[in-house]
Amino acid sequence: MKTTEEILTLAREIAGAWDWTTEVTQPEPNRLDVLLRNPADLVAIVTALRVKRLGYLAAITGLDLGAGELEALYHFCAGEVVITLRVRLNGRETAVASLSELIPSAEPFERELREMYGVNIIGLPSPDYLYLPDDWPAGVYPMRQDFDPQVLSRKT
Amino acid sequence: MQTDTQRERFTIPIGPQHPALKEPGHFRFSVDGEIVTGATVRLGYAHRGLEKLAEKQNWVQNIYLFERVCGICSHTHATAYCLGVERLAGVIAPPRAQAIRTLVCELERIHSHLLWLGVSAHEAGFDTLFMYSWRDRETVMDLLEALTGNRVNYSVNVLGGVKVDVTEEIAQAIYKGLDFLEERTHHYLQVVSSDASFLQRARGVGVMTRQQAEVMGVVGPTARASGVTRDIRIEAPYAAYADFPPQVIVDERGDLEARFVVRLKELLESYRLVREILARLPEGELTVRMPRRIKSGETVSRVEAPRGELFYFLKSNGTDTPVRVHARTPTICNMTSVVRLAVGHQLADVPLILAGIDPCFSCNDR
Amino acid sequence: MILSEKGWQTVFDRIKTWARVNSPWVIHFNSGSCNGCDIEILATITPRYDLERFGVKLQGSPRHADILLCTGPVTRQARERLLRVYEQMPEPKFVVAIGSCALSGGAFHDCYNTMGGVDQVIPVDAYIPGCPPRPEAIIDGVVKLLQKLQQGEKAEVGDQKPGELS
Ligand code: SF4
Repeated sequence: MKTTEEILTLAREIAGAWDWTTEVTQPEPNRLDVLLRNPADLVAIVTALRVKRLGYLAAITGLDLGAGELEALYHFCAGEVVITLRVRLNGRETAVASLSELIPSAEPFERELREMYGVNIIGLPSPDYLYLPDDWPAGVYPMRQDFDPQVLSRKT
Repeated sequence: MQTDTQRERFTIPIGPQHPALKEPGHFRFSVDGEIVTGATVRLGYAHRGLEKLAEKQNWVQNIYLFERVCGICSHTHATAYCLGVERLAGVIAPPRAQAIRTLVCELERIHSHLLWLGVSAHEAGFDTLFMYSWRDRETVMDLLEALTGNRVNYSVNVLGGVKVDVTEEIAQAIYKGLDFLEERTHHYLQVVSSDASFLQRARGVGVMTRQQAEVMGVVGPTARASGVTRDIRIEAPYAAYADFPPQVIVDERGDLEARFVVRLKELLESYRLVREILARLPEGELTVRMPRRIKSGETVSRVEAPRGELFYFLKSNGTDTPVRVHARTPTICNMTSVVRLAVGHQLADVPLILAGIDPCFSCNDR
Repeated sequence: MILSEKGWQTVFDRIKTWARVNSPWVIHFNSGSCNGCDIEILATITPRYDLERFGVKLQGSPRHADILLCTGPVTRQARERLLRVYEQMPEPKFVVAIGSCALSGGAFHDCYNTMGGVDQVIPVDAYIPGCPPRPEAIIDGVVKLLQKLQQGEKAEVGDQKPGELS
């Protein structure tokens, strides 16, 4: 078992290898926030984390920052440390590669991200809905800020 | 004679309403004869859209909403949420409140594990054990009711503390109830590791090696039954777990029997913890003042639910409603393992393999 | 004594009601609840509460069931299934909505993916409020429904005419 300090140093080192595209902050003593300016780096950084056996993928959170900007947060946990990789995405235009090859448990998280926020995830095996109902209107993403429940005309 | 490839393949849909599933999920198993060759899962039957609703309600209303993500581990959800909000606000609940949170967490784990024991014994065709374990579970339900006033969805947590107190009378009742349960648990432990017909259903079935468990990212007792020592209560102690550390219980075997044994031993560990908390319950206030508006910021709150690691992400923008509350529940992590473990097993084993991870679809779907 | 055709009919109806009231088979459908109500339903059939002493049997297939115990606010995805389960049940059938969220949507009233209660989708005969209702309340609700059946108040749903039994 690594101590908290060791994990943090190691994670900083890994993020440091991409220092021209990442920005590392530490909002809380046990959290490391790595902002990826280039979404294309995601797979490489995650691979580096895996190689160093640093943490496991705990969750992927989507955020709608407004003005069509989305953010995907990949949380990796190791001991009490949470390493968050933030990827800025611009609506449907920017795509992000799927991690499910690397980490099988990423698949349900990524499908959630795709259904709830409409993030285009490349390389996801199944195109079906996992959470939303079968008759959900296409192109409507419930967790986006501009979601209007009126579009779901209530059947009675 | 047909060769393997010529033989017809069938797809068997199970769910969302099926006697082997207590909750709505939908599985499709492709089978070759009796052997499962592939499986997929469709969730969403219990998807209500809680995370969206949370953005419209204020911080206090959301406690009650997130309690209702799951009725079985409601207190754990509320604890994760409240701890996260308190961290955002820079408030720390008083020690007595933290200890009572921990106490209820452990009582809830007892109720949840006993419930699981019954349900999975039922899946194994062992209805006697189902009835007995549920009868015993009523003991802890009574204790929870005496302590909190409700049998399910206890609403113990408020922002900045708890709203129930442990009196001497209740403490005595809990001691007494635990003595009874401890004796029963030893009995069950003996049953699941010696009953011949039960062992045929459980021993060597659904084996998940340690490496598989790590790759698939399983959490909680399911992971610990495969030898992965992952327990948030120890790795990142929350509430009062730093003062009352539990022992990690691991088993290397990784089969269904191991999952039974691990959960039953965890019960024994919970009894010990509850007793210890009662004996050393700190004195003092139950709540501290919480601001109505929560400082802007983001935080992560992790707690160990009966089913594994529960992960909350909270974001505030300084108003009285959250910007985002994201709950990642343990079953999502474990669900991947069911779909993979089922392959190669008899179809009849699948319900028990599914029950082995202690699935909770309403947690899953939110 | 020779009974007229009408007389025989009355006797048959009485036997049917007697049988139905004494051994109702129930099916449980979870339409997206939080599980709180479901575990309380299961608790009612376990030794402490023992709903089986009223002859109630929990049944896996809708085709064999008389009473549908429905929990949850009915999510959009479960709606179709709920209708299908309801249609598969033989007449006469009765629906019991269990829990606040099955009554009105409860805590999930404003969620985008819920229909806001079982009675938005299928007709409901008995409502059991609570979040979750205690097992005693569930038993009380089911027994009240049985009493109603006995008195023939629900006769118009089934094959009898109102008042024929009284
Ligand atoms: S009524 Fe309450 S306890 Fe029952 S399913 Fe709904 S939210 Fe859960």
